[in-house]
Amino acid sequence: MSLGPKDIRITDEGNYVHCNLLGDWLLVIGSEKAHFSWGNFWELQTQSISTCKFTLSPSSSWDSSLLLFLFRAKTELQKKGIVADFSALPEKVKKLLSFAEDRMAISSSLSHEVINGSNLWADQIVHSFTQVSTFWGKWLLAVGKLFLGKSFMRFGDLIHTCRDCGASALPIVTLIAFLTGLTMAFVGSVQLEKFNATIYVADLVSLAMVREMGALMVAIVMAGRTGAAFAAELGSMKIREEIDSLRTFGIPAIEFLVLPRTLALLLMTPLLTLYADIVGILGGLTVGSQVMDFSALHYFEQTQSALTNMWEIYSGLFKSLAFGLIIGLVGCYKGMFTGSNSASLGKSVTSSVVVSITLIVVCDAIFEICFSLLGYR
Amino acid sequence: MKPDSIKKSVIEVSDLGLSYGNRTVLQEVSFDVMKGSCLAVMGASGCGKSTLLKGMTGLLKPFNGKVKFEGDSMWGDGQLPHDEVLSKFGVLFQGGALWSSMNLLENISLPLETFSRLNRQEIEDMAAYKLSLVGLSGCEFLYPSELSGGMQKRAGLARALAMDPEILFLDEPSAGLDPINSNQLDELILELKDSLGITFVVVTHELDSIFSISDHSIFLSNQSKTIIDQGKPIDLLKGSRLEEVRDFLGRSSRSNSK
Repeated sequence: MSLGPKDIRITDEGNYVHCNLLGDWLLVIGSEKAHFSWGNFWELQTQSISTCKFTLSPSSSWDSSLLLFLFRAKTELQKKGIVADFSALPEKVKKLLSFAEDRMAISSSLSHEVINGSNLWADQIVHSFTQVSTFWGKWLLAVGKLFLGKSFMRFGDLIHTCRDCGASALPIVTLIAFLTGLTMAFVGSVQLEKFNATIYVADLVSLAMVREMGALMVAIVMAGRTGAAFAAELGSMKIREEIDSLRTFGIPAIEFLVLPRTLALLLMTPLLTLYADIVGILGGLTVGSQVMDFSALHYFEQTQSALTNMWEIYSGLFKSLAFGLIIGLVGCYKGMFTGSNSASLGKSVTSSVVVSITLIVVCDAIFEICFSLLGYR
Repeated sequence: MKPDSIKKSVIEVSDLGLSYGNRTVLQEVSFDVMKGSCLAVMGASGCGKSTLLKGMTGLLKPFNGKVKFEGDSMWGDGQLPHDEVLSKFGVLFQGGALWSSMNLLENISLPLETFSRLNRQEIEDMAAYKLSLVGLSGCEFLYPSELSGGMQKRAGLARALAMDPEILFLDEPSAGLDPINSNQLDELILELKDSLGITFVVVTHELDSIFSISDHSIFLSNQSKTIIDQGKPIDLLKGSRLEEVRDFLGRSSRSNSK
């Protein structure tokens, strides 16, 4: 079936205007031609007319686009004081027209205004500050309740989350830590060669790994992997009103959902960091023994002499504890305060990763400055 | 629409089997949907009504059997159903499934912008017209998250109607609606069926609406995972050979007679 373009043939019949609609009035057909003839006729029309009679060619197909045209024509004609006469249109068109007109007449009493919060940036800062500190305070109270044995937290959840963010992260942590150690050894060896001191690669890799890179690399992996997952999981629970339903049972979401997640990260991040330290040193060893021709034993002895003070290792683990807490809290906070649509869920997840990594780097810098000032380095 | 559309089957489902992974939900399902008619899909919760709709709209590939639209198999030789077939469908999902990052006007305009030849102004008018059909005029600029569940459902229906589809699949259209709105929805379905000749496939539990809108109904069962009875709802109420079906349909008249 070939379709004809929408068209209108308008003829002046003396006391009324006859408007014959031709072609197929379907959504998939352009209406430029029809609009042109329609507009043209009324522009040139100078005589006063009382009625405009519409007819539809019997061979025409039609859908809602015909109704739309008739509605618009009627409104336009009304403004000119002309009556639109639809009586000669097919019965089904007339029925649907009057049905739609009835529905349109029931005007909605809904207010168009959307209540918005204050847009003043200072207000927003105060609001988010209050929100963050309330969240932090509630979390501390929840930890307190846990120690008193009155928490709603289920230990099964804690174990389950520990497995998810600890053991399951081992492969990626292995890869990243190994390659970090390897890269540092390569970069260091080139510089140390100038001073004929290549064996100090072992010192460089081991100290950098335990003080800095182990904790930092694990934190970045965890922020991208686990923090984002927390934000997405809690965010979709928020959207589906699961968090509200917990509240109606009197179960605080902070204790039931946030606590196991943050505690799991708090426990797992230092363990993963310790593991990353070892793997990173092995990465350095690979370069030392395979590229620089040191014996493995020699490399290990050198590493051992670099790490005589256990504080070197503890300081890294101490930092990772803080990083784990940051990732857990940021991820859960972003999830808990997601808006009510899927776009805001995406924003929450993105911002949980961005905020976590930023805070981690800032926090790392503060730690290092403090350690230096206090003489621990 | 051509006024003289002859009654013929527009969808033929034959020996259809649907599953999620290893779990078979429906098997050996066969029925026809007549052009311009309204088919009600009934059955207890979890019997596969929504799954059947997924199978018919090309969202779930059947493991067995065929869905034919106007004589052509929906799933061609390839892995995906034909696009031109899908463009003739309108689907209202159970939860409305509105795109949450767009307001209602944009939700309805998107298919019109993509597939129709209307200009910007006409598209906006059309969206406003479709919203008024479902009783939501004045809500054009609201976002889905600002609407109640029932309003989201009606907005979803307005979007399904956007392109004047030949077939509308409605998944529990009146769930979450008050009796007045539910009644208005039935009127709308009858009106569209009558004047635009749209074919409806409706999954519903609303017995009153089943009796008032549907010409034919199929009854799915949890146990046998297939159609256990079909026919005109009123005939099923009176003369179904299965007590389960009579009991299901009888709930409405019983509550009316009290």
